[in-house]
Amino acid sequence: MKVAVCFKIIADLNMPLDRDWNVVDQGPVDLSFVRQVFNCFDESSLEMGLKLQAQSEAVTDKIELTALTIDDQRADLFLKHLYALAYDHAVRIQPDDPMDLVFHPLWVSAVLSAYIADIGRQQLVILGMQGGEGNNGQTGYLVAERLGWPCIRNVMDIALKGPENGLTVTSMTDRGTMMQTIDLPAVLITGNSPQSPFLRVPTLKQKVKASTRQITALGQKELGVKDKGMIRKDKAPAGLYRPESSRKVVFIEGKTAEDKARTLYEQSLKDRLNQ
Amino acid sequence: MTIERDTIVRDLINIVGSQRVIIDGQVLKERSHDRFRKFESICGVYTRPIPAAVVMLETVQQVSDVLKYLNQHGITCIPRTGGSATEGGLETIVENTVVLDGSRMDKIIRIDPYNMLATAQCGVNLEVLENKLRSQGYTTGHSPQSKPLACMGGLVATRSIGQFSTLYGGIEDLVVGLEAVFPNGEITRIKNVPRRACGPDIRHVIIGNEGALCYITEVTVKMFKYEPENNGFNAFTLDHMKTGFEILREVMTSGYRPSIARLYDAGDGAQHGFNQFAEGKCVLIFMSEGPVHIARATRTGIAEIVARYQECMPIDNKIIETWFANLNWGPEKIALEREFIRKNLNMGFTTEVSGNWSCIHTIYENVMKQIPEKFPHAGDLTLFGGHSSHSYQTGTNMYFVYDYNIVNCRPEEEINKYHIPINALIVEETLKAGGSMVHHHGIGKYRTPWTREEHGSAYYILESLKKVFDPNGIMNTGTIFPFEK
Repeated sequence: MKVAVCFKIIADLNMPLDRDWNVVDQGPVDLSFVRQVFNCFDESSLEMGLKLQAQSEAVTDKIELTALTIDDQRADLFLKHLYALAYDHAVRIQPDDPMDLVFHPLWVSAVLSAYIADIGRQQLVILGMQGGEGNNGQTGYLVAERLGWPCIRNVMDIALKGPENGLTVTSMTDRGTMMQTIDLPAVLITGNSPQSPFLRVPTLKQKVKASTRQITALGQKELGVKDKGMIRKDKAPAGLYRPESSRKVVFIEGKTAEDKARTLYEQSLKDRLNQ
Repeated sequence: MTIERDTIVRDLINIVGSQRVIIDGQVLKERSHDRFRKFESICGVYTRPIPAAVVMLETVQQVSDVLKYLNQHGITCIPRTGGSATEGGLETIVENTVVLDGSRMDKIIRIDPYNMLATAQCGVNLEVLENKLRSQGYTTGHSPQSKPLACMGGLVATRSIGQFSTLYGGIEDLVVGLEAVFPNGEITRIKNVPRRACGPDIRHVIIGNEGALCYITEVTVKMFKYEPENNGFNAFTLDHMKTGFEILREVMTSGYRPSIARLYDAGDGAQHGFNQFAEGKCVLIFMSEGPVHIARATRTGIAEIVARYQECMPIDNKIIETWFANLNWGPEKIALEREFIRKNLNMGFTTEVSGNWSCIHTIYENVMKQIPEKFPHAGDLTLFGGHSSHSYQTGTNMYFVYDYNIVNCRPEEEINKYHIPINALIVEETLKAGGSMVHHHGIGKYRTPWTREEHGSAYYILESLKKVFDPNGIMNTGTIFPFEK
């Protein structure tokens, strides 16, 4: 089975100070000085890919894992990290011109699906529900649409069905947790995953071994994807504002813990719990 | 005669009242350790003797009364405030230990801007004090990564150091006066004066005692003007740690006092994301602060020194400023770390040592060579490196960091399989080269096998302090001094 896990690296948005959130000359917010990290939902996707690969070694042919991203050379460090974690292929697709891709899921999905269908010839695609910077939440659905494959959203966990070419997928729905058995191909869009919230850590030996492996770097032209109609260069941020958010502290008085708990319930919880 | 657990609890209730004596099982378990055994606690495994009670002390008199009682009956106690210790100093190793929690003694007693003195009870959280001072245009100058968690009593007890120590000094340079209670119940106050020559400096009997001699109840520290608008960074990449140590030495011996002087090797730098702009390189960081003219002169002087070393290339200061603003460890980072460890079975520790300029590079090189060769589970290491972060006229420290995947071992085996042997190798290499085995975390309970070697013939002085001030050995048994049954 060939599995592609799509990921993006983003600025760690916990790091910038309040004064860093500025729009200068209607350009994107400059976060070039901030440490880059795996987008959190993609991190779960990448870990799910590794778990699936580990399962496959025991029951069937080993899954062939590809890590796929659209970025410039700054992503190579992350792709080598994934090599160290036993990804079989590390592929970076570089746009023809440097561009801010945060709000262009249409274009991103065209590039990803072109690679998946035409070059990688994958059977399963796993990717995060949204990126921390743009929060569009569209790329996964658009990739599925372009490929013509079924997709499942809010995926929490994936397991091999058995030696056959299928999967058991656990996802979160509005009514609770759902477990589905599916055939491939498919697109799985991961959400919050309590089972795989973090990507595992490679050992120093694994990192050294991976350091000499080559990243597959492809240009946009090699995929035959054009920008026409998908990149709106006439739209730019004009300014930023921070929504007001404040909390109030109330000290609950009472002689005993029981008194305080009763007051807390009466004053603050009762109405909410009855809603 | 051994006193029964129930009797201890009953007597403590009689002394301080039932509302101040905690015997809840989960609280007792959690108070049986500190961050040294974090993996065990994450897994809900508690291997240390469960304390008889936690006493929430609120007044100096209560501290005195309780200590007098415990001393009379030979009951071991562990002083505790913020609980951010990392070296096992807060671990219980004796049955029916009583944990003396001073976190409710949390009043800022006085801020005296004229004499530049701030007085706080032992349970005052450093960040609370620092924020209050900053709101008035002052600072303590003390900023350890544990600032959001640590309290004044614990900071002084462990000879803590902050990130701006190269300018302000360690806590021992900041403490002016103290109040402490000894096991016989004696309440002692050391007055706040700028300097005196009235016999040995007795503050140092208390500072760094790790709860093994007395209970610190109140601390007076120096205040400084807070002028962050004058802060500025000089940051560089470089190829070799040896060059970095040379530059640190030249900066310090030339008389410059940046508040931050840090040198990272490539391994440690990678965990901070330095490999994203300087893969495989070392990173050297200075921050200058204080009055505008001094800050500017310090920056200029450092830039002149570094310019003589061709391998040094400047880094965008904005990268370093942003990184530094996110360095501290608060409750939310600890909670995330615990979740990460639980899910990924990957965790890390540090061992911090120091040495004179003539031996610090030898210590660094030997440790970097010995761990991969001698540590039997080196294949499980996921990060190994170090940095220097506190420099002096005569030398600097090395802070070794190591992360590992926990492979094929039970929670209670992890500390013996990984942290303790790595820690031992670092301590032994440091002592062999002539350095000190502990720079700023305290000895705790796991570097005690080397306390005697660390102090050499001066151990006589240290040992005598224990004999005089804690003759019954009730104060944090097994900390600083090896536990002998």
